[in-house]
Amino acid sequence: MRQPDQTEAPDYAVELNACSKEFTTPHGGTYQAVQDIDLKVEPGRFVSIVGPTGSGKSTILHMAAGLLEPSAGTAASFGVPVRGVNRRASYMFQQDALLPWKTVIDNVSLGLTMAGVPKPEANDRARRWLEKVGLKNFTDRYPHQLSGGMRKRTSLAQAWIVDPDILLMDEPFSALDVQTRQIMENELLALWQESGKAVVFITHDLDEAIALSDEVIILGAGPGSTVVGRYDITIPRPRDLLEIRDDPQFVELHREIWGRLKIEVSRTYQSTVRQEGGAA
Amino acid sequence: MSTTTERTGRNAGVARQRPRRRAGVTGPGVRAGQVGLTVLVLIAWELLCRVGVIDDFFFPRPSEILKTVWEWVGSGFVFPHLLITLEEAALAFITGAAAGLLLGFLLARVHFLEQLFEPFLKMFNALPRVVLAPIFLLWFGLGIWSKVAFGFTLVFFIVFFNTLEGVKSVDRVLIDNARMLGASERQLLRHVFIPSALTWIFSSLHISVGFAITGAVVGEYLGASAGMGYAIAQAQGVFDTTGVFAGMFILMFVVLIIDLLVNRVERHLLRWRPTNNG
Ligand SMILES: Nc1ncnc2c1ncn2[C@@H]1O[C@H](COP(=O)(O)OP(=O)(O)O)[C@@H](O)[C@H]1O
Ligand SMILES: [Mg+2]
Repeated sequence: MRQPDQTEAPDYAVELNACSKEFTTPHGGTYQAVQDIDLKVEPGRFVSIVGPTGSGKSTILHMAAGLLEPSAGTAASFGVPVRGVNRRASYMFQQDALLPWKTVIDNVSLGLTMAGVPKPEANDRARRWLEKVGLKNFTDRYPHQLSGGMRKRTSLAQAWIVDPDILLMDEPFSALDVQTRQIMENELLALWQESGKAVVFITHDLDEAIALSDEVIILGAGPGSTVVGRYDITIPRPRDLLEIRDDPQFVELHREIWGRLKIEVSRTYQSTVRQEGGAA
Repeated sequence: MSTTTERTGRNAGVARQRPRRRAGVTGPGVRAGQVGLTVLVLIAWELLCRVGVIDDFFFPRPSEILKTVWEWVGSGFVFPHLLITLEEAALAFITGAAAGLLLGFLLARVHFLEQLFEPFLKMFNALPRVVLAPIFLLWFGLGIWSKVAFGFTLVFFIVFFNTLEGVKSVDRVLIDNARMLGASERQLLRHVFIPSALTWIFSSLHISVGFAITGAVVGEYLGASAGMGYAIAQAQGVFDTTGVFAGMFILMFVVLIIDLLVNRVERHLLRWRPTNNG
């Protein structure tokens, strides 16, 4: 089914080659969101993309998922060009994406039931996942009856239950408070470790990116943003997320990457101010 | 008659805003006030009739109306008429809703068809539907089918436009999420589009049920041999205003009961939605 062919040469789980994306604006013009994006993620790697808001992070993830077609360049996954949605990937969306008319357990088991798994078995497996993310007492709730953190846990279970080879996560924790976020980050690392899954993780929080990843990619300011820096994070695993911010290696990396990111963030800020000034 | 024309013509569009559940339980104080107000108005009406301020030829006394209602119900006179009207309304509602749903989903999912049909649907919707009643009488005769056809045209457009809007306004991210989880086009329909459109369809259900009955009654009024509209027209023909009012009150109660049932169904099917006060 979703088994990667391990005997083959190392195909990338996610592979974007010189991908660009142009949107048509409401006035009929075009807006170049991202330009010449190269992104290669090996199976089992945890890669984060960091960039200012509006730099095209979600756009890149959508292209990797097959939800958006690149205007130029190619997208591939495990050596196969991505056409339509990428069946080997799960996606955790930035916004709430649970179906509001389904209970927690029906949301989590959805991927299985749609793939033809019988309902009782799908429910069993969903229950096991809900236990793993600490929601076993909330199986029959509707999404609006959950806190933001619980909804994210449900989304996490929904994405993982189908056992994908790739996890695309778009700022999954940015709407959470600091404590909940740290707990979720820990849970995510525990799940991912030894799962062999490739993770592409989007965040605007550099701390989070460094703490979790094997590689951090910095995206420049838009329009036409592109990759402006790549950093290997060699902090050994398993990592203790509660202590990692005091790790000298972490501090050094943070200083180095932030030096680069700062420039892009302030460019985004200035162009926003300019636009607002011009519009007024 | 002319007010009915206006209302059917104007209200037949899409329910403007997203449906919202009504505010929860009514407080006991409010309830008592409502009963008090009703009693007050009825007593005032009755007294003003008795002292001759209100001409009870045009506004018969509430006591007289109630007496006539009692006679019509007690003698069983009203039931065959009511049954015919409800039968026509039910048929109009079922066929109109089914056609509206089907076409609504189809056009919402096939962009080409939507563009193709849009001007024609707009044209028909712009037509005040009541003018169709006479032609339906000629086509389908005095029996129930002319009323069913008339009610159909009223119900169809409401359900159709709401379904179209409901399917098109589905949150993009819900579709994307379902597709990433492996949904086929059919599964998308079942797990995403239909449940989402349901909220819109239900917001229009109260209106469309009302219109199904309006269609039946107006149709009967214009030409029939049975039904509530016919009974009211008969009463009017002999200047029996009390009878006209009695017919009105009976219809009002029946529609209220149906509306309560619709509320029940709605509350069950839309139980996943947050309530306003919760
Ligand atoms: N469907 C779209 N149509 C037009 N412009 C879009 C669309 N999606 C995104 N954009 C624009 O592309 C840029 C990048 O968006 P996005 O990928 O969401 O950024 P990020 O996720 O980094 O905040 C933004 O300026 C946004 O306004
Ligand atoms: Mg984004």
